[in-house]
Amino acid sequence: MKKKQKRKKPYLLFIAPGFILYTVFIIFPILFILYLCLFKWSGLGPMTFVGLDNFKTLFNSPRIAPTFWHALGNNLKYLLCVWFIITPVQFLLAYLFYLKIPFYKYYKLMIFMPYVISSTIVSFFATMIFNPSIGFLNEFLTNIGLSHLTGAWLGDPNLAFKIMIIIIIWQGSGSGMMIFYANMMDIPTEIIEASRIDGCSEAQRFWNILLPLSLPSCASIIVMSSIWALGIFDIPFILGGSSGGVSNSLDFVTMVFYRYTFGNVLNGKSDLGFGAAISVAMFIIIVIVTLVQNKILSKFEYDN
Amino acid sequence: MAREKREILSPKSKIIRWVFSILLLLYTSITIFILLSTLINSFKSKSDLINNTFGWPEKFLLSSYITVFTEDKFGLYFRNSIILTFCGTFCCIFLASMVAYGIARFNFKGKGFLASYFLFGMMFPIQISVLPLFIILKKMSLLNTLGGMILVYAAGMSLPVYIFQKFFRTVPKSLDESARIDGAKEFTIYLKIILPLCKPVVFTVALINSVGYWNDFYMPMVFLGKKTCRTLTLAIYNYLNEFLKQMNVSFAAVIITLIPIILIYFLFSSQIIEGITGGAVKE
Repeated sequence: MKKKQKRKKPYLLFIAPGFILYTVFIIFPILFILYLCLFKWSGLGPMTFVGLDNFKTLFNSPRIAPTFWHALGNNLKYLLCVWFIITPVQFLLAYLFYLKIPFYKYYKLMIFMPYVISSTIVSFFATMIFNPSIGFLNEFLTNIGLSHLTGAWLGDPNLAFKIMIIIIIWQGSGSGMMIFYANMMDIPTEIIEASRIDGCSEAQRFWNILLPLSLPSCASIIVMSSIWALGIFDIPFILGGSSGGVSNSLDFVTMVFYRYTFGNVLNGKSDLGFGAAISVAMFIIIVIVTLVQNKILSKFEYDN
Repeated sequence: MAREKREILSPKSKIIRWVFSILLLLYTSITIFILLSTLINSFKSKSDLINNTFGWPEKFLLSSYITVFTEDKFGLYFRNSIILTFCGTFCCIFLASMVAYGIARFNFKGKGFLASYFLFGMMFPIQISVLPLFIILKKMSLLNTLGGMILVYAAGMSLPVYIFQKFFRTVPKSLDESARIDGAKEFTIYLKIILPLCKPVVFTVALINSVGYWNDFYMPMVFLGKKTCRTLTLAIYNYLNEFLKQMNVSFAAVIITLIPIILIYFLFSSQIIEGITGGAVKE
């Protein structure tokens, strides 16, 4: 009997180990925060049911809500940067490689390289360059006699965010660029040949052929990078510290979450239910952003 | 490729291409400058570093490297990073390929659901589930152990499962059927016939995963607080927090962490690029 069953469902043997691990460590945590956010719990002792109180505190309390909304605002600002700065830069770079500008193979290799460098090291480089007292940039500006241009850079609340975007472009633009490039290389050569014979100019070819044919891959890149944009943590955390940089210019929702859940663990004041509420808020925002994007992007879908 | 015709470019578009090329030359020079000056600075003494940020060192000193390995336990951190990267990759690839094989090769009820169930994890960044993971690991007393971290890494199998499934479908079914007639067990078919055929894609996915684990910062920071299971990225983070005090040593630490990953990049860049583009573009 047992043997018969085994022969009937051999796929169970293959799927079960992965399924169990994936369910315990990926799916269950997401369900668990949906439950935990309704409680007050220090991590030890009993859990007190508080309903939606955690969310009320998060959205309304005069002590915490402004920090949260400010951080969320930064997340949205970063999301806009992803849409209107980072993705276009990636697309432009891919297009330049597609045009085979001189030495493009070397540039492709070098621009993609920082992708394999960890955020801590990237932040180390950033410190090395932008540190006000010993950083290269201030040193360089002083040496060439432009000392009036030296600044606090990452310590300047007006500049910190912009510098962070530059750092992120340096580190992370490679992956999207490569996807765009691979997609452009997949465009059938007949189409390009035909446009050439018809006397289509380079600009026309870009706007009427390359751009529309790249939109489907654009959609997947934008959806994925938006999810990452809402989860941004490493670089602002390392550069600005857990408090979110000078005047909270580098504060993001993930960092607010980190401060309230893990930051207070040592003094025993942590409230895991409240941390879970921040996670749930993030979860809901991600779902909304993804849905809205799918709706907008599906209108641009080329092959519909 | 012999039939590839080069377009005759107008002088204007030729100039534009060169302008962009020179801009990118400047941009990539910054990258090279950063890497080289980190390397050069790692040989400087602290006072030399403060007085002379750009130039050659007064004397090439290996003292920073020695300090990193003796006073700080960089050997241990290196070992931890290697263990996490290798075991995490191995477990993830092994389990994900088995799941993908099960889904791609057999017909059963709920197969479609299962495929999307495994994709679901890609929708959410790890920051959302880090708190419950922390609690779960604590309950299993796996917090501050490399084993617990490896399990979490192995569980993040959404993308590998997706990529492997697509690949396994392209392997003709007649192969495993003839093996089955010869009396081979299901597991043998998977291990001896299908996996070897998919070696390139397995290698590519393993490469991408290893780079991710080697560079991971957030999860080790939360789950591996104890000093004995610190990874290289955490060690760099600690140096960075005391940058002014430990400047000279931290340059050496960064170089030690960078060398393996840069070597891997230049050896396997085409596979890494393929791994990044392959999963996202093709339907």
